[in-house]
Amino acid sequence: MLNENGENGGRSHSMSLRAEQAAKSLRLAADRSERIENLAAQLVSTGATQAASIDQMRAATESAVSSMDEVAKAVNDASLSQERIVQLTRESRDGCDATSAGLHEVAASVEGVKKDADVLATSAETTAISLEEMSRSIKGVASDAEELAASSEELLSSATEMSASVSEVAALGEGTAATVEEVAATIEQMSKGISRLSVDAQAMGERTATVGTAVTTVASALGRVAEDASEMASAVEQTAATAEQMARSVRIVSDNIAGLKADADGTTSATSELAASIEEVAATSEKNALVIDGNVAGIEQLARSAAATAASAAEVSSIAANVATSTAQLETSTRTIAGQVQASRQTSDRVAATAKEGAVTVARSINGLGTIREVIVGSASVMKEVSKRVEEIGDFVQTINLIADRTNLLSLNASIEAARAGEHGRGFAVVAEEIRALADRAQAASSDIAKIVRALQGAARDALTASTDGAKVADDGAKLAADSERALTTIVQGVDELARSVVEIDRASAEQGKAVHAVVQATNRMNEEGKTIARAGAEQTRATQALAQAGAEMRTMAKQSRQAMAGQAKAVREIVKANGALRTTFEKVMRISEEQTKASAELAQAAHRMRTITQKTTSAMAEQTRALGTVAASSQEVAGATQRTIAGLTEQAKGAVEVARAMSEARKQVVQTARAMAEQTKTSKRVEGIVRRVAKLAASLSTVSAEQSKISTVLTGEADGVRRFARQASRAVAEQAMALTALAASAARQTASMGGVGGAASEQSAAFSRLGDVAAQLKLRAREIAGALGLHTKTAGAVVEGVRSMSSEIAQLRTITAEQALVVAAIFEELSHQDRARHRTMEEKDEAS
Amino acid sequence: MSALFVMFKVGNADYVIPASSVLELESFTGATEVPGAPSFLRGVLNIRGRVVPAIDLRTRFGLARTEPTIDTRVVVGQIGTRVVGLVVDAAREVVSLSSEAFRPPPEIIVEQTQGFVQAIAEAGQRLVMLLDFPKVIGEESTHAQ
Repeated sequence: MLNENGENGGRSHSMSLRAEQAAKSLRLAADRSERIENLAAQLVSTGATQAASIDQMRAATESAVSSMDEVAKAVNDASLSQERIVQLTRESRDGCDATSAGLHEVAASVEGVKKDADVLATSAETTAISLEEMSRSIKGVASDAEELAASSEELLSSATEMSASVSEVAALGEGTAATVEEVAATIEQMSKGISRLSVDAQAMGERTATVGTAVTTVASALGRVAEDASEMASAVEQTAATAEQMARSVRIVSDNIAGLKADADGTTSATSELAASIEEVAATSEKNALVIDGNVAGIEQLARSAAATAASAAEVSSIAANVATSTAQLETSTRTIAGQVQASRQTSDRVAATAKEGAVTVARSINGLGTIREVIVGSASVMKEVSKRVEEIGDFVQTINLIADRTNLLSLNASIEAARAGEHGRGFAVVAEEIRALADRAQAASSDIAKIVRALQGAARDALTASTDGAKVADDGAKLAADSERALTTIVQGVDELARSVVEIDRASAEQGKAVHAVVQATNRMNEEGKTIARAGAEQTRATQALAQAGAEMRTMAKQSRQAMAGQAKAVREIVKANGALRTTFEKVMRISEEQTKASAELAQAAHRMRTITQKTTSAMAEQTRALGTVAASSQEVAGATQRTIAGLTEQAKGAVEVARAMSEARKQVVQTARAMAEQTKTSKRVEGIVRRVAKLAASLSTVSAEQSKISTVLTGEADGVRRFARQASRAVAEQAMALTALAASAARQTASMGGVGGAASEQSAAFSRLGDVAAQLKLRAREIAGALGLHTKTAGAVVEGVRSMSSEIAQLRTITAEQALVVAAIFEELSHQDRARHRTMEEKDEAS
Repeated sequence: MSALFVMFKVGNADYVIPASSVLELESFTGATEVPGAPSFLRGVLNIRGRVVPAIDLRTRFGLARTEPTIDTRVVVGQIGTRVVGLVVDAAREVVSLSSEAFRPPPEIIVEQTQGFVQAIAEAGQRLVMLLDFPKVIGEESTHAQ
C-alpha cells in the first residue's frame, strides 16, 4: 500500500507535468499562430506593394503608348509632307515636261532631253511603286491599331475583373477580421476560465493541506487507541492472572473444605477472604468490561471510516475514468490540429509556387521592355537616316532653284534676241516667254519644297525626341519591373519562412499529441490505482468488521463474567452469613466448590481467549497505525503534487493572458489589413480608369490610322496620275526636235536633279515603310506587355486567394485551440471534484479520530 | 504698234527699257572696282570678252547699296557704239507693250526725278516706269548725237 500510494503521487505529479507540457504546446501554437498572422500581414502588404508596382508599370506602359502615338503622329506629319513633296515634284516635273515641249517647238527635239525625261519617268514609276508600298504598310499599321484597340478593350475588362476580385478579397478580409474578433473574445473567455481554474486549484491545494493535517491527527489518535488497547491488554492479562489465582484458591478452598468440616471457625475467616477476593475480581471485571466497551466502539468507528475510504477510492476511480475520456477527446482534437497544420503547409507551398510563377512573369516582362527599348532605339536611328535624306533633298532643291534661275536668264536673253530679229523672231519670242514662265513656276515650286523640307526636318527632330523619351520610359518600366521582381522575391522569402513556421507548428503539434497520449496513459494507470485502493479499502473494511464482531463477543463475555462474579459474591456473603449452618451445608459447599472450580477453569479459559483476542487487536491496531502513517505521507505527497499543479496552472493562466494580448494585437493587425485591402480596391479602381483612357487612346489611334489609310489610297491614285502624266510627257519629249544647246543641257541637268529628287522620295518612302514596320512591332510589344500585366493581375489574385485560405485555416486552428482549452477546463473541473471527494473523506476521518 | 521691253526691279519699283537697246542679261556676282569712280559706278565687268562699265542703279536712284543675291542682274545696254551694264535688283521678264500704253509722267515727277522717268505705263496690274536710258547713264549728248 505504501508503494502504491507513492506511485500514485508520482503519477499525478507526472500528469500535472504533462498538463504543463500541453499548456506549453498550446502557448507555442498560439505564438506560431501569431507569427503566421504577422506573416500574412506582411504578405498582404507586399501584395499591396506589388499592386502599386503593377499600377506604376501600367502608367509607364500608358506613357509608352502615348510616346508611340507621338511617333505615329510624327510619321503621319512626315507622310503628309512627303505627299506634298511628291505633289510638288510632280508639278516640277510638269514644268520640266512643258519645258521639253517648248524646247521641241523651238528646235525640233533634243535627244538628250528625251533620254533624261525617260529617266524621270522611270523615277516617277519607282516613286509610284514606293507610294503603293507605303500605302500597304499604312494599311498594316491601321489593322495593328485596330488590334491594339481590341487588346486595350481586353485589358480594360481584365482590369475591371481584377477590381471586382480585389473588392471581393477586401470583403473576405473584413469577414476574417470579424472571425478574428470572435476568436479573440473566445480566447479571453478561456483566459478568464483558466484564471478561475487557477483560483480553484489553489483552494484545492489548501484543502489538500488540511486533509494532510487531518490525516496526521487521525494517525496520532489511532496511536492513542493503540496505547489504550495495549493498556487494555495488560488489564486483561491481570484479569487472567487473577482468574488463575482464583482457580487455584478455589481448589485450595475445595481442599480445605474437609478441614472446614473439622474447623468451621477457620473456615469462616477463609470464606471472608474468599468473598473479599471475589469482590476484587468483580471490580476488575467491571473495569475490564468498561475498557472493552470503549475498544469495541473505537473499532466500529474504524470500520465505518474504512468503508468511507473504500467508497472514496471508488469515486476516485470513476473520476479517473472520466478524466481518461476527456483526455481521449483532447487527443482527438490534437490530431485534428495536426491535420489542419498539414493543410496550411500545403497552402503555403501553393502560395510559394504561385509567387515563383509571378517572378517568372515579371522576368518575361523585363525582357519585353528591353526589346521595346531596342525597337525604339532602332526607330530613332531610322529617324536619323530620314533626317539625313531630308537634308539631301534640301540640297537638291537648292540646285533646282539655281537651274530655274539660269533658265529664266536664258529665256530672257532669247526674248531679247527674238526682239532683235524683228518679225522673224516673233515665234521665237513667244516660246522664250513660255520657257520663262515655266522657269518661274519651277522656282516657286522649289521654294515651296524648301519650306516643306524645313518643316520635315523639324518633324524628324520631334520624332527623334519622342523616341528618346520612349526609350527612357521603357527604361523606367524595366526599373519598375525589377522593383516588382524584388518585391516578389521578398514574398517568396516570406512564404518560405511561413512554411518553416508551419513545419515547426507541425512538430509542436506532434509533441503535444505525444504529451496528451502520455496523459491518457497516466490517467489509465491512475484509474487502475484507484481501483486497487478501493479493493484494499474493502478488504480493510471486512477485517475491521470482523474485529468489531470479536469485540462485541468479548463485551458479551465480560458482561457474563461480571454477572457471574456478582452472583458468586452474593453466594459467598450468604455463606459467611450462614456460617452457623456450615456443617449442614458442607455438602452443598462441596458441590458449589466443585462448580466453582469448573467455573474458574472456564473463566481462566475465557481469560486466555480474551488475552489472545486482545493481542490480535493490539497487533491489528499497530498495523492500522502504520497504514495511517503511510496514508499521511501519501496525502502530503498529494499536497506537494497539488502545489506543483497550481504553479503549472498559474503559468498556464499567464500564458492565456499572453495569448489574449497577442490576439488583440492580431485583431489590430487584421483591422490594418482590412484598411490596406480597401486602399488596394481604390488603387485598382484608379488602374481601371487609366486602362479606360488607354482604350480610348487606342480607339482614336485606330481612327487616325484609318484616315491615314484613306489618304494614302488617294495618294496612290494621284501617283497613278503622275505615272500616266509621266508617260505622256515622255511621248511628248520623244516628239520634240532639236532645241537650243544650252537650253537642252540645262533641261537635261534639271531632269537629272528631278530624278535625284524622285530617288530620294522613293528612299524616303521606303524609310517610312520601315517606320511603319517599327510601329507595328512596337504595338506588338505593347500587346505582349498588356498580356504580361494580365498574368500579373491573375497572379496577384492567386496570391491573395492563398492568403485568404490560409487565414481561414488559422481561424480553424484557433477554434480548435479554444475547444482544447474547454477540454482542459473540463479536466481541471474533474480534478477539483476529486479533490472535494478526498476532502470529505479526510473530514470524516478527522471526526473518527 | 507694240514693242518688247525688258522689265527690271530696283528697290520696290518696276522699270522698263526697250529691248532693242538691250544686248543681253547676265547674272551679277561682283565687279572689278575702279579707283576714283563715283559711288554709282561699281566698276568694270567682262561681258563676253568686252570690258563694260557697271552702273549701280540703286545708288543712282538714291537707295542704299546691297550685296548681290541670286536675283541680282546686269542689263547690258547699247547706245550707239557704247555698251553699259546696269546693275539691278532683279530682271525676270520681257514684256510687250503698245506705244499707246505709255503716258507722260506727272509734272512733279519730271521736275523732281532728274528726268530719269520718261513715261509711265500699265503692265497688267502693275505700273512700270520707262527709263530715259541715256540720262540714267549720263550720256545725253551721245544719245543726242
